Amino acid sequence: MRATEKSRILIIEDDAHIAEGLKLNLSLQGHEAAIADSGTEGLRLWKEYNPDMIVLDIMLPGLDGLAVLRHIRLEDEKLPVLILSAKGEPDDRIKGFSYGVDDYLAKPFRLEEFLLRIDRLLTRASWNRDRLTATGQEEPGEMQNYTFGGNTIDFTTLTAVCRQGTIRLTEQETRLLRIFIANRGKPLSRKTLLEVGWGYSGVITTRTVDNFIVRLRKYFEDDPQNPLYFRSIRSVGYRFDHP
Amino acid sequence: MKQAKWFVHPITVFILSTLALAISLFLYIYWYVQVSTGLKSVIDYYRLDARQFFEAQTWVVILILSLLVAVILTGILIIFIYNLKTLQLYRLQHTFINNFTHELKTPVTSLKLYLETFAKHELPREEQLKYIGFMLQDTERLSENINSILNLARIESRVYKGHFTQVDLMETIERFIAGNTHLFGNCKIRVENPSNEATVHPVIVPLFEMLLMNILTNAMKYNLSGKPSVDISLEPGEHALRIRFRDNGVGISKEDRKRIFRKFYRSQSDDLVTTGGSGIGLYLVQQIARLHRGKVIAESEGPGNGSVFTLILPRKTPKGGPKGGADESD
Repeated sequence: MRATEKSRILIIEDDAHIAEGLKLNLSLQGHEAAIADSGTEGLRLWKEYNPDMIVLDIMLPGLDGLAVLRHIRLEDEKLPVLILSAKGEPDDRIKGFSYGVDDYLAKPFRLEEFLLRIDRLLTRASWNRDRLTATGQEEPGEMQNYTFGGNTIDFTTLTAVCRQGTIRLTEQETRLLRIFIANRGKPLSRKTLLEVGWGYSGVITTRTVDNFIVRLRKYFEDDPQNPLYFRSIRSVGYRFDHP
Repeated sequence: MKQAKWFVHPITVFILSTLALAISLFLYIYWYVQVSTGLKSVIDYYRLDARQFFEAQTWVVILILSLLVAVILTGILIIFIYNLKTLQLYRLQHTFINNFTHELKTPVTSLKLYLETFAKHELPREEQLKYIGFMLQDTERLSENINSILNLARIESRVYKGHFTQVDLMETIERFIAGNTHLFGNCKIRVENPSNEATVHPVIVPLFEMLLMNILTNAMKYNLSGKPSVDISLEPGEHALRIRFRDNGVGISKEDRKRIFRKFYRSQSDDLVTTGGSGIGLYLVQQIARLHRGKVIAESEGPGNGSVFTLILPRKTPKGGPKGGADESD
């Protein structure tokens, strides 16, 4: 095993004892760790603390772990995430992996196994980095642009070519577009859109979502009154239709 | 549970059997009428005395048949409703087991984590003590969880052994809060008695404390404000002593106001689905209140506006305070 250099690990876990215990062990292992006790706090620290990997609980107050994971995956495909959850049934694991988690460990777990898995994830992430810096390539795998109808969205420059000409997209609009494109043909509830797209939970009105949809339709639909791509589904939410 | 095939689905079965019963009733009557008209023509042919055979019997027969069918129909309906209830309970129990497993697994995970850490590393004494403190709290949590299940069984079957003692509830509440500060962390709890009248009432103290524990921890758990607070106000009245618990939590939707007291019920409220919990806390609260011949009601000005739980304990003696009615053990 290679000696891992000091890594920054973010622990998103609402049980203070477990979080503290994980932090203790990670620092004994030579890593640096930060704790977030809720999903929203986790997303804030993900931006501010800029961790090398994340240990994530699923049952969190407010925004749950899976929503946090999906939100992170919209922007960062490669950040290693390990789910540590009391839900250990195969169905739960499959759900986690389908949203893009790298590893899954059920509680209660063996400390040694946890530490070895962390090591492995960090090691592989560092290989990835090494290879990229060696070849000097652009990061592959990220979505660069997407075309539907007469519209082209460029995710690197945050611009779009549509029936209004070339427009600049806000970060929020881009994020929403990413969710829709990643879930083509699947119905998305307003709640999911709000949680994954904004990282919100709670009493914030879902009207926010509707307003954004109106805007997206204005940009990308030939007839915003009869949308072809951003379809409403009664009593559910929205669906992006594009094969 | 696996989704059953549509033709064995309870509702389909119910509709089909009702339909079959209705058709059979119709056929019984139809055939009966046919047979009796046949018989009548025979009687007419032989010029027998018709009254010998028919004495308004047709209507009696139809009436009896209809009554019997109605009885069978009611039977089917009762079985059908019963079946639905069982199914519902089964589902609730399933979610309960899921939730409760989580409540049990969390302290176990923490205990195991620290024990393994201790086995692996030699920590300085000070740190050791800190983590041993954590572990002790975890074992406390575990035994609380186990106790709540055991007590639930005892309270439900009414074999709870405890006797009523006359205590000042204001004092009891204050003592309870002071003794459990570690549970309430940053939650601000105020206790007041605006009327300044005596708040002495007969209660089973350990159960009353369990009720407090459940209401107060709920107020904290279902709170997104960052600064949870609970105002407890005691209002001794002529007929009843009311204790109001007003919190600044997420509130309760209109539909949930009664349902939250059901056994194993968990609110479907969107943003709280992931909050741990077993779904027996408030059920336990209501059962404890009943054991004291009182009740608990929940009020809320809607989601986001906090909620108010009111415990109503009726006074036995209308005048002069309850001093005389002490120690009426169940």
